Amino acid sequence: MSAMNLTTRRWISVVATTALAVSLAMVSGASTASAAEVKGGTLNFYTHNEQVAALDPTNMYTGRDIALYGTYIYRQLTSYKMVPGSAGTELTGDLATNTGVPSNKAKTWTFTLRPGITWEDGSAVTCADLKYGMSRSFATDVFNDGPGYARSWLDIPVLEDGSSAYAGPYKKTGQELYDKAVTCSKDNRTITYKLSRSVPDFNYFASYPAAGPVKASKDTGDKYDLRPMATGPYKVKSYKINDKLVMVRNSKWKKSSDPLRKALPDSISIKFGMNEDVRDETDMTDQIPNGINMDGLQSTNTPTYFADPTKAKQRLNIVDSFVTYLSANNSAGHLDCLLVRKAVFFAYDNQSLIDLAGGLKYYGEMGDNIVKPNLGMDYIATKGNIHDPNFKIGGNPEYAKTLLAQAKTACPDAYDRATNPAKGLKYYRPDTADNKKSAVIVEAALTKAGIVIETVYKPSGSYNANLTEYKSQTDFLASGWAPDWANASTVIPEMWGDGCCNYTKNEDTPEYAPFSAKIKKALVELDRKKQAKLWHELSQYGMDQYWYIRTVFSKDQLTWGSKIGGFQEWKIMSTPIYNDLYIKK
Amino acid sequence: MLKYVTRRLLYTVILLLIVSFTIFYIFDLIPVDPARLICSKQCTPALVEANRHRLGLDVSVLEQWWRFLQGLVQGRNYGEGGIKDIYCGAPSFGYSFNRHECVSTVIADVFPTTLSLTIGAFVMWLSVGVSLGVLAARKKGKFADRASNAFVLIGTSLPTFITGILVVLFIVLKFHLVNPLELGDWKNPITDPIGWLRTFFFPCATLALAYAATYTRFTRSNVLEISSEDYIRTARAKGLSEKVILRKHTLRAALAPIVTIAGLDFAGLLGGAIITEGIFGLSGLGKLSLTAVLQTYDLPIIVATTLVGSAFVVIMNLIVDIAYAYLDPRVRAE
Amino acid sequence: MTKFLEVKNLSVSFPTEDGLVKASNDVSYSVDLGKTLAIVGESGSGKSVSNLAIMGLHNRATTQISGSAFLNLDEGPIDVITAPEETVRRLRGKVMSMIFQDPMSALHPYFSVGNQIAEAWSLYNEGSKRDGMKRAAEMLDLVGIPSAADRVKDYPHQFSGGMRQRVMIAMALVNNPKLLIADEPTTALDVTVQSQILKLIQEIQKEFNMAVILITHDLGVVAEVADNVCVMYGGKIVETSAIDEIFYRSQHPYTTALLDSIPRVDKFGSHRLKAISGQPPSLIGLPKGCSFAPRCQFVSHVAGSRCTTEDPELTEKAKDHFARCFLSTEQIHTLTGRSVTA
Repeated sequence: MSAMNLTTRRWISVVATTALAVSLAMVSGASTASAAEVKGGTLNFYTHNEQVAALDPTNMYTGRDIALYGTYIYRQLTSYKMVPGSAGTELTGDLATNTGVPSNKAKTWTFTLRPGITWEDGSAVTCADLKYGMSRSFATDVFNDGPGYARSWLDIPVLEDGSSAYAGPYKKTGQELYDKAVTCSKDNRTITYKLSRSVPDFNYFASYPAAGPVKASKDTGDKYDLRPMATGPYKVKSYKINDKLVMVRNSKWKKSSDPLRKALPDSISIKFGMNEDVRDETDMTDQIPNGINMDGLQSTNTPTYFADPTKAKQRLNIVDSFVTYLSANNSAGHLDCLLVRKAVFFAYDNQSLIDLAGGLKYYGEMGDNIVKPNLGMDYIATKGNIHDPNFKIGGNPEYAKTLLAQAKTACPDAYDRATNPAKGLKYYRPDTADNKKSAVIVEAALTKAGIVIETVYKPSGSYNANLTEYKSQTDFLASGWAPDWANASTVIPEMWGDGCCNYTKNEDTPEYAPFSAKIKKALVELDRKKQAKLWHELSQYGMDQYWYIRTVFSKDQLTWGSKIGGFQEWKIMSTPIYNDLYIKK
Repeated sequence: MLKYVTRRLLYTVILLLIVSFTIFYIFDLIPVDPARLICSKQCTPALVEANRHRLGLDVSVLEQWWRFLQGLVQGRNYGEGGIKDIYCGAPSFGYSFNRHECVSTVIADVFPTTLSLTIGAFVMWLSVGVSLGVLAARKKGKFADRASNAFVLIGTSLPTFITGILVVLFIVLKFHLVNPLELGDWKNPITDPIGWLRTFFFPCATLALAYAATYTRFTRSNVLEISSEDYIRTARAKGLSEKVILRKHTLRAALAPIVTIAGLDFAGLLGGAIITEGIFGLSGLGKLSLTAVLQTYDLPIIVATTLVGSAFVVIMNLIVDIAYAYLDPRVRAE
Repeated sequence: MTKFLEVKNLSVSFPTEDGLVKASNDVSYSVDLGKTLAIVGESGSGKSVSNLAIMGLHNRATTQISGSAFLNLDEGPIDVITAPEETVRRLRGKVMSMIFQDPMSALHPYFSVGNQIAEAWSLYNEGSKRDGMKRAAEMLDLVGIPSAADRVKDYPHQFSGGMRQRVMIAMALVNNPKLLIADEPTTALDVTVQSQILKLIQEIQKEFNMAVILITHDLGVVAEVADNVCVMYGGKIVETSAIDEIFYRSQHPYTTALLDSIPRVDKFGSHRLKAISGQPPSLIGLPKGCSFAPRCQFVSHVAGSRCTTEDPELTEKAKDHFARCFLSTEQIHTLTGRSVTA
C-alpha cells in the first residue's frame, strides 16, 4: 500500500453503516465491557517508522495516529464511538456534550464542553483553549502538514493566492476576523464556529485533534510536537524520535468526565525504528506477548502468519478504508473516447496484478465504486463495470476487441492512437522495481486486445511532485485515496471534482459540467439521506464514464501478541479499538 | 610536526567547505521539492512558497550555503517557530523541521551510539583479526592456520546485512538474549557497562566480522613477510628468544601498516554502520542519515551527517598520518 | 692443535618441492682466535649457509644439517650443530656474532640504533635501560661514529651505508664475542667505505683477539685482511689454503678465473678482465663429476672425460693447500700462466 501516492501518508478511514447497523448503533451507544478486561500492565507497540508522523495535534493527519493518540492522550470535541461493528462509525460527544448543534443551514456550529475536563496540569479545558487550538491551523508558517479544513470553511476571507486573511495566533494578522468567526460564551464553555458556507459534516472534522484544544500559555510552537499537553487518560512521559514514546497515566484525567475511555493499561510504549525483518520475527515468534506490530507484516510473511493455527486468535484480515485506482486521461487527444476507455477496462489483467501485489486474500479485491462499502450509506454497488457479464478479472481481450471495432467508426482518432503501433498509449510510472514487474502484465494484457501501450518511467523521487504536470501528458495515472471521514464528500469531489487529486482531466469533457453542478448540490445538502442519494447518482455516473480504468478495494492485516486482550477492529479507523486493549494476566 | 598538522588542518577545512557546497549543489539539482513534501493534502501554491521560505530554499544555492556557513560560525535564526523564533547556537548545522530540533543537538544525541558501535567493532576486529592472524602465521600450515583460513573465507564472503539479520534472528531473538524492544537502547558504557554490552555486543560483532576476517588474512601475510626480513634474522643473531622477536620485532613492523589501514577503515565504518544500525535499531548517525534520505528527506540532517562523515574521514586520515609517523621513524623524518 | 672453531663435514640442505637443495656439501674449515678466515664464492655457492648453520639461524624443522661445528670454549668444546637450540641461542650474540651484507635491511627500521645495541647488551648483562644506552654510545664511539652519544637515539635510516655497517658491527661486538662472522659486510658499500669497514674489523679483531670469518665474493677484499681462504663453488670447498698460496699459486681453475676477474693496477693496459662464462650450478641434483666442469676451460686437458664423470676429491696439492681438481700443480700453472714461483 505504501507504493501509492503522497496522500497515503495521512488519511482517516470510515466505515460501513447499513441501515440496519445504524439502528443497532442507536442501541449500543456505550462501550461494551468485556468480562475479562483487566487494568494494569504495559502495552507495547513497535514500528519500523522513526517517529510519529506528527504528534502535534495541529499537524496530525494520519488515521492511525488520530485513532491511537486520540484515544490515549488527546480528547476531541467529538469522537467515533469506540465500539466494534457498524456502531463504531457513529459520532458521539467527547469533550462536547453532544455531536454539535448546526444552525443557519449548517453555516453555524455550536459545541458545549462537559464539566470537569482538565489538562494534565490540572487546569480546566476551556472554550478559549479550543479556539486557540483551531487558530494554530492558520499559522501556515509553522504548521503546514495538517488538515486545511479550518482555513477553507471558517468565515474568514481567503486571499487571492489561496491563503487565509488570518495568519494565526503568532503573527496575529487578521486576529479580529478569527475572533468574529469563532466565539466563546461568557462561561467559556460553549464554542460557536461561523462558516463561510453550509458544511453539514463539520462535526466530523471536530473529531480531529487539529480541531481540538491547545492551551495558549503552554504552546511551544514548532516544538510542541515533542511534548504536547494531554487531556486524555495518558500523558507523554518521554518522547525520543527514533527511540521510544512512553505514555503514562494522566492523574488529572477523571473517568467521570469521559464517557468513552477505559484507560486499561498502566502505561503505553511505542518503540520506533525497528528493522522490518526483526519486527516481523518479533511478531511471528511472539517475542513481545504484550506487544502489537503497528505496521503489519511484510507481504512475504503475511501468508505464513495467517496459516499458523496457533495464531488464530491473534490476527484479523480486514478491508481497510483505502482505494487504489487507475485514472484515465479523458481529455482530447488522449482517452477521450468512452469505447476505447472501456476496451482498456475490459482488457486489463487485474488478476495477475493483484496476485503480484499479494493476492485477493491479502492485498485487495476489485471495486465497483470509488466510495468503499466501509463508507456506509454513501456506497452503492454500481451497475456495469465489474458487474458487466463481459468482465473477467483476468482480462477479456475478445470483448475489448469488439469495443475497439465499434470505436473504429465512432471515434477514429482515439482508435488510431490506441491501436496504431506508431502512436500508442502512454503510461507514466515511477521508476521502481515493482512497477517494472507490473508493467509487463499490463503491456501483455493490452497487447492481447490489440491496444498499443508504452510505459514511460519517471524518476520515482520526483514523481509525486510532478503529478500535476504528468496528468495532462500521460494516458494513465495510478494513485490511491482514503476518505477523511464517513461522508463521500471527502471522496467524490476530491477524485472526480475540483478537489485536490483529480487526475482524470474530466473537466475537459462535456460530461463534467452537469456532474460538477451535482457535486456542489450534494456538498450542501443537509438531509443526510438525500445527500447519500446524490452521491449514489454521482458514483454511478462516474463509473459509467469509465473515468477510472480500475478500482481496487484494499485489505489490511492486523496481528497482535498473545497477551493482548480486547483486540477488535475499529472499522472507521481500520485499526484496533485502542480503548479496549488490555494486558491479560 | 606542528606546522604539518596545522597545514593539514587547513586543508581539511577547505576540503569540508568544498564537500558542503557540493552537497548543497547536488540536492539543489535533485528534482525533489522538500517544500512540497511537507505540504498537506490540501496544498496550495502559496503554502508551498511559504514552506520553501521556511526551509530556507527560496534563495540561490550559493546563498543557502553561505547562510549555512554563517550558522556554523555564529549560530543562526531559523525563522518563526510559533511562540518564539527558532534559534540554534554556533556551531549550528541547521534546524530539522521534521524533528523539531537543532541539527547539532540531533547529531550530538546520536553520536555516542555510532561511536560506541564503531569503536566497539574496531576493538573487536583488531583484537580478533590480529591475534588470529598472528596465530595462523605462527602455525602456518597447521590446524590453527586452516581454521583461521576458514574464518577468513566466511567472514569475507558474508555481507554485513546478511550477517546482521542472521545474528538477530537466529541468535539474539532465537535464544531470547535481548528483548527486541530493548535491542537498540542506548546505555552509558561507564555507568552501565553490562547494559552497554547487551546493546552493543552483537552489532559490534556483526560490523566487525568482515573486517576481522580481512585483518586476519592481512596480519598473517604481514607477519610471514616480516618474519623473513633481514632485521628479524639480525634479532635472532643477537640471541633474542623467539617470543621477544615476535612480540617486539616482528609485530612492531607488521602492525604499523595494519594500524594505518585500520585507521582509514575506522573512518569508513560510518558507512558500514548504516546497515548495522538499521538492523539492530540503533539510533546512530548512519540510521539518521538513511532515514533523512529515504523517509523524511530532511535536508539539514543530510547535509550535517554527510559533513560529519566527511570530516570524520578527513580527520582520521590526519590521525593515521600522525600515528604512522609516530610508528615508523622513516616517515617522521620526511 | 685445536682451533677455536672447527667445522667438519658440514652439510646443509633444504628439502623443497623440486627436490633437495644441497646448499652446503661436506664442508670443513677452521679458524682460530685472532685469525681471519675468508670464505669466497659466487652467490649460491653455499658460503653463507654453512655459517648460518654455525650461528643456528636455520630453521631446524625445515633444514637438514649434518656434520659438526665445534666451538672450543674455555668451559669445553660444544658442537653448535647438535647442541639444543636454546643452548645455541645463548651463545649467539655473546660468543659468536654475525653481521650481514645489507646494513639497511639488517637493522630494524623502527628502533633507534642505541635501542638495538642496548637490547643485545642487556641480554647478557645486568643493567638499566640507561646503562644499555650508555654502553651503546661507547660501542658507537668504538666503531668510529662521530658524536656517538648524540646519535644513539637516531634511527638506521638517518645513517649512511657505511655508518650503518659500523652500527651493525657495534651491535655484534657489544658483548665481546670470540667469533665474528661477517657475511659480505662491504658488498653494499662504496669502495672507499669498504676498506674503512674492513680496517675497522681488523682493528677490533686485534683489540679483542677475535676469530673472524669473512664471507665475500671479492677476492680483492680477501687479500687485504684474510689469513686463510676457502673458495667455495656449488656448495663445496674447491680450494683452501693460506692467503698467499691462493694468490700466487692457486691450484683450481675456478680460483684462477676469479683472480682474473679482479682489476689489477699492476697489469694496466695489457690486462683484460675476464668474465667466467656460464652459470653457477643448480644446487638441486648436482651433475656427476666436477661441478665446475661445465664452465671449466681446461676440461679437455684431463684424460678421458673424467671431469664430467668423477668428482675430484679435495686433495693436498702443496703443504696446507687443498684443491679439488684432477690437474696437477704443474699443469694448472702452465695453463693459467701463474708461476709457482711468482
